[in-house]
Amino acid sequence: MFKFNNINLDVWTETYAISFYLSYLSRWPDLCCVQEAPSGRMMGYILGKAEGSSTEWHGHITAISVAPEYRRLSLARNMVNRLELVSDDHYKGFFVDLYVRCNNALAINMYEGFGYSVYRRVREYYGTLGVGKGGKDEEDAFDMRKPLSRDPLRRSVRSNGREVVVNASSVS
Amino acid sequence: MSAAVTLERQIRPIYEALDTGSNKSAIVSCNKLLKKYPSNLLVKSLKALALVRSQKVEESLALCDEVLAVKPLDDATISAMMHVLKGLGRITDMVNMFEEAYKQQPLNEEYGAQTFFAHVRTANWKSAQQVSTRMHKQFQDDRYLYWSVMGAILQASDPSTTSSMKMLLHKLAHRLVTSSPTPSYLTADRFHMHISILKELELYDEANTLLESDIGKTICSTSLACDQTRREIWRGRGLFKEEGQCAQQKILNGDRNWLEFLSVLDSIFAPVSSRREGGITEESKNECLENISKARTFLAGVVEKDGTKNRAAPLALLELEHRAYKFGLSDDSVFVSVMEDYFTQFGDKACCFEDLISFLDLETTSLDRWKAFLTQHQPSFASVGDLQRLINVRKLERYILLDSEITVESETARGLKYLNEYLGGLALGGDLPVTELQPADDLVLLAANALVMVWALNHSEEALYRAATVLEYGLTKSRMSFQMRIMLVRIYRILGASSLALEHYRQMNVKQVQNDTLSHLVLTRALTFSLAAIGDLTYPSECLESSQIYLASSQETSDFIVRSFTAEKYTQIPDFIDFESRLENSLQRDVVKLEHVRMRLTHEPLNTDIIDMELIELKFISPRQPRFLIIPSYQPRCKPTFNEQSLLFGASTGQGWLWCFLKIYIRAFQHASDLDDIVEEKLLVGDRPKKSSDPEVQLPLRERLALRRAEEIAELTSEETQLLDWATALGDWLEPHHNYVRPPPAVVLAEASRQTELKTGFPLRGVDLQAHNGDANGHHKKDEEAPPIKEASSLLTVFFDSMLSRFEHLVESKCSISELLHVATITQEAFILFIIETMRFKSPAVVKIHKLGNLVAQFKDVRLRASCVLKEMSAALIKIGEVEGSVEHRQVFLQACAAVTIKEITHDFVSNVAKSVTDSRKKALEGVGKGMTKLNAAHGQS
Repeated sequence: MFKFNNINLDVWTETYAISFYLSYLSRWPDLCCVQEAPSGRMMGYILGKAEGSSTEWHGHITAISVAPEYRRLSLARNMVNRLELVSDDHYKGFFVDLYVRCNNALAINMYEGFGYSVYRRVREYYGTLGVGKGGKDEEDAFDMRKPLSRDPLRRSVRSNGREVVVNASSVS
Repeated sequence: MSAAVTLERQIRPIYEALDTGSNKSAIVSCNKLLKKYPSNLLVKSLKALALVRSQKVEESLALCDEVLAVKPLDDATISAMMHVLKGLGRITDMVNMFEEAYKQQPLNEEYGAQTFFAHVRTANWKSAQQVSTRMHKQFQDDRYLYWSVMGAILQASDPSTTSSMKMLLHKLAHRLVTSSPTPSYLTADRFHMHISILKELELYDEANTLLESDIGKTICSTSLACDQTRREIWRGRGLFKEEGQCAQQKILNGDRNWLEFLSVLDSIFAPVSSRREGGITEESKNECLENISKARTFLAGVVEKDGTKNRAAPLALLELEHRAYKFGLSDDSVFVSVMEDYFTQFGDKACCFEDLISFLDLETTSLDRWKAFLTQHQPSFASVGDLQRLINVRKLERYILLDSEITVESETARGLKYLNEYLGGLALGGDLPVTELQPADDLVLLAANALVMVWALNHSEEALYRAATVLEYGLTKSRMSFQMRIMLVRIYRILGASSLALEHYRQMNVKQVQNDTLSHLVLTRALTFSLAAIGDLTYPSECLESSQIYLASSQETSDFIVRSFTAEKYTQIPDFIDFESRLENSLQRDVVKLEHVRMRLTHEPLNTDIIDMELIELKFISPRQPRFLIIPSYQPRCKPTFNEQSLLFGASTGQGWLWCFLKIYIRAFQHASDLDDIVEEKLLVGDRPKKSSDPEVQLPLRERLALRRAEEIAELTSEETQLLDWATALGDWLEPHHNYVRPPPAVVLAEASRQTELKTGFPLRGVDLQAHNGDANGHHKKDEEAPPIKEASSLLTVFFDSMLSRFEHLVESKCSISELLHVATITQEAFILFIIETMRFKSPAVVKIHKLGNLVAQFKDVRLRASCVLKEMSAALIKIGEVEGSVEHRQVFLQACAAVTIKEITHDFVSNVAKSVTDSRKKALEGVGKGMTKLNAAHGQS
């Protein structure tokens, strides 16, 4: 945390209270990881958790961020792969999910490239920016999911996810 | 029975009130209940809790002691008390309370766990280990066994544990872990703990059995921590070859963890690196050469497979050839070709520069070849990739510039070249949203670096004006560039435009833990720019805000250590402990604290309250952790980094600076305060910070204050050094009189007790007034002789003259405004210190009783001299401020920037920058000047 300024001074990356990071590390250390350059400089990190019950038991990507100078190097893909591996092998989850701002087209493309698809749209999930230029898209989030090996029938995903809209209060 | 039920019903609203933060109503309800049940412990402890939460510490303390004295046993009271004691910082009392309760009810598992946690919070691993062992015997839960193993491991890693003890503790941990009825591989964290112990004890065979088992392999495949320990164990056994093969297999399976590549590399060079004595034999050399050629093929295969998707293999190839070259096993021309290949492949990625610079330790001939390779690059702005390639070329070229190639002219020319290329590259990011960064950004950073270099060479502010202008322009294109903002903060501080520096700093939206690593940008030596004396509290409040996180961390981190135990995530515990201690011992935290004190004294009336309080806080500061710095620099390697070049007054504010100023202030406060060690012991509540094991901290404070070290003084500016000398002379002169006149502890305590009674209705606890009653009234006659009154050292007045002449010299030579402010504020600081040191002798009664007339008469000269100098400086600052704000002065700025007023950087734009810089400087000059007048008026007459 003393070294992440080159990543966290970016606009899209939120800096949370110390307790936020510590609570992730104290519960799911194996779903959190940092990538360092050989020089020791931090390139990116991922924070994740395992949650839900019965067939909703899944891995969740809470935060993922790569410093500007280390982008376009597949770092995010590697970290997501690792999180999927651990969620699958160790936590035996059914799927991995994540939230992304609806107007963050770049990120959505990237996640689709990783095999994620939109499961539903969550209304007013992000309250921070307020309704800005992008209108609703700035506040709403897509919940994106990717099934793991315990879900061979792909029950945890659906093709019309973009049309399924739910309220933020209904998704914890 | 019914009475108990009624009581319970009456207590419930108190909990609700506490939960919703209505502490006042909680107190009222408690009082009501206490009338009926005057001895109910639960109600008392709930009231204590409500009191703590409404900042009524003294009242809470009294109640708290009452409850503790009874040694409570019921759950509700104990848990309420736990919160009270946490709030009061009385962790030691908490430990005692739980220990007592657990002793009384050894079958209560919760009390056992809480006792354990209380020890964990105080980092008392030995007791924690003992408690958990006892719990394991009693409750037969494996978890407690692992707690006690962790306790032993942590005790072993405590810096104060001797190495033989360490071994014993690890052996104990081993015995405990093997005694577990369930195997450790049930969870990854237990498994990790087990193999780490085996690693420490070098029980490799046993470790191997665990690691080679199927389940061991599975754990290592998903747990990075376990895999890392496995790696270390294999290395410890000298199994480089096997480790290398294993890593190679993983890479083939798609793993791109850099550590795997390092394992492969280490195995290649094991024959030549592990046998250092007796030189390298021909045989091992050949073996190594063979390894290298095999590895080349292997890595080339991976490189081909990955393409530009992953740079791990190409980096490994670089590392391979670099090591081969360093061991003399290959020609450096091979290495340079690999570098060229790497650049060809990854030159269009931003990381290329960082990746390559660690390999640039080449011989001259190879360096020339590398330079030639870079020079032949043809700049192109066709695509973002081309632009990035150009940026990398410029950075790499700049990095290896020779000292002889760096002159004012050449750097100015380079700065303009970078700027032109930057403006050319802007076209590529024309349609990006405002939140994005321009791909050309690094070129403007390079331009600013070159211009700052010019300033470092000729110390003419013109170059800084230019650097500020180009960076301000860059920000109009990339609003979110924190690199530009950091550079601007530094430049504006040097220029004395402090309000602009602060504005940019705030734009970076620094929050939470970032404060620890970034607040130094604006808060070190902030006194120089502080307008606190005229009531502008911007800087002091910035200090308070940035210190919030330390408070939050000290309360929270230990909670998470406890949680890690509950969740059995042992791998995280050592890191959390390290994290906590880093924040607790943060250098920046104390530098900010001290800066706040310095500013506070210019703003608040100087009285004993503020002096006593700050004295206690400052006294507990001990050696510190260095800061982490993240300031981009693209300066040539033969020159200082941008960070070093742009430090305000060219001096850092590290440990040395902190200690020198602490010494000045602790000493002055000690003299002025009536609190000596005996009084302090009685008055201070809560736990003292844990003493560090540093030998210097073991010295008594008095001796520590007298120490002077060259390396500490090296961090001071010449003015600060003079201040230190001056304060030492003043302190030496007055110390004997302070010690003689200071009222004895009994008198001070009696007074404190009276004050507490006025506030809370109770006298101070633990102070036996009867015993001292004879002394408590009137003045106490000392047995010893009064110290002789000495002549004041001439340094005391000479200091002010010397400061004034330095100031006048700076004014004449039109030197930087920040330097001018520095001299003025240091002089003002001396004046304030003088007031503090002489406060005790202000009372005519004291002077009369102790016959100090001759001493006090000498104060007058010093004060008069100081006051005169302050007046002159203040008037001069205000006058310069007026000139600074004039149109002519803005013209100077504009002319200096003519060279960078090109293309899109218009005259109007530069003129706006000029206006904001000159306005900001005017504000600083006038504000500090007026503040000095005000301080002089407040303290100068008396």
